[in-house]
Amino acid sequence: MLMPKKVKYRKQQRGRMCGKAWRGSELSFGDYGLKVLEPGWITDRQIEAARVAMTRFVKRGGKIWVRLFPDKPVTKKPAETRMGKGKGAPDHWVAVVRPGKILFEMEGVSPTDAQEAMRLASHKLPLNTKFVQRPTVH
Amino acid sequence: MATATAPNLVEAKPREASDKNAARRLRTTGLIPAVLYGAGKEPRPIAVDPKQIQRILYSDSGHNTIFDVTVEGEQAKAMIVDWQYEPIKGSLLHVDLKRIAMDKKMRVRVPIQVKGEAPGVKTEGGILDIVMRELEIECLPADIPSHVIVDISSLAFGEPIRVSDLPKSDKVKILSDADLTVVHVTSVKEEVAPVVEEVAAVAGATPAEPEVIKKGKQETEGAEAEKSEKKPEKKK
Repeated sequence: MLMPKKVKYRKQQRGRMCGKAWRGSELSFGDYGLKVLEPGWITDRQIEAARVAMTRFVKRGGKIWVRLFPDKPVTKKPAETRMGKGKGAPDHWVAVVRPGKILFEMEGVSPTDAQEAMRLASHKLPLNTKFVQRPTVH
Repeated sequence: MATATAPNLVEAKPREASDKNAARRLRTTGLIPAVLYGAGKEPRPIAVDPKQIQRILYSDSGHNTIFDVTVEGEQAKAMIVDWQYEPIKGSLLHVDLKRIAMDKKMRVRVPIQVKGEAPGVKTEGGILDIVMRELEIECLPADIPSHVIVDISSLAFGEPIRVSDLPKSDKVKILSDADLTVVHVTSVKEEVAPVVEEVAAVAGATPAEPEVIKKGKQETEGAEAEKSEKKPEKKK
């Protein structure tokens, strides 16, 4: 799973997810991409599941870029614990995404294969997404 | 390299340079804010029709198309130098137009188009990786090529095409570094489905926590501790 190697603080507050993704909202590496349409958290497991779904579909055919990184720790209290006694222990990592962010990019496959791979990946994610491609690709 | 200057005319309206509320109100009327600058003249805030700009951006010569802009009867040759899209809908938000002096050389970025089928992909099972999608050049406005064609019909596995291998012209000077890779054929590892035991091991394993960066007073604290230990006891 993806996670940072070093962090300054073990735990974080939840934060806000208002606004749009003005950065990272255009294709930078590949010809095709998956753009998220709503704000939310995507966990390290969901990112890995989506990546694996795409990679297995395209097999040796294409190159994939993952444009998001889970750098926010999410804590969880143990089961059947009374409230209080401080914040829980770090449980997993999430990437905060805002609408417009490109999550994955792909190159070296046909548009139909890319669309199908992105569709499979989108089923592993908790947010609405759409398939995007460069205007020059036919 | 093929030059293409489409005969376009963009009709612009003057607008007052003000805040984002005015820009938002302008967008609701169907126009978008733009600014026209360059050629030693004062920058002028204008409003343009996004459909006309989209048509230019999606033309063969793309953003390097030279067209006429008319503002209150005043005409000037211009080019799109920057543009902003709304991240979700993809509609145009703002455009920067630059006045062009046809007798002065200018620096532009020209798209690279790949032509042919690489044997490295066809027979050797590699993947075509386009590293560079735009080339920076210097030339007169009339000589700006619509695109640079890269022929990959003899590109084998592992062999890159660099900027120095691109077709050269007397009218156009390439500014991008000659050693930069434009396109190459690479390979990607195939993802193998893990064995059931491995999956169970991964699922059962607790994720290790990352290292926490500590504050930089460790050495001084350590030194102080040593000092306190070495302090001789007061004689009574």
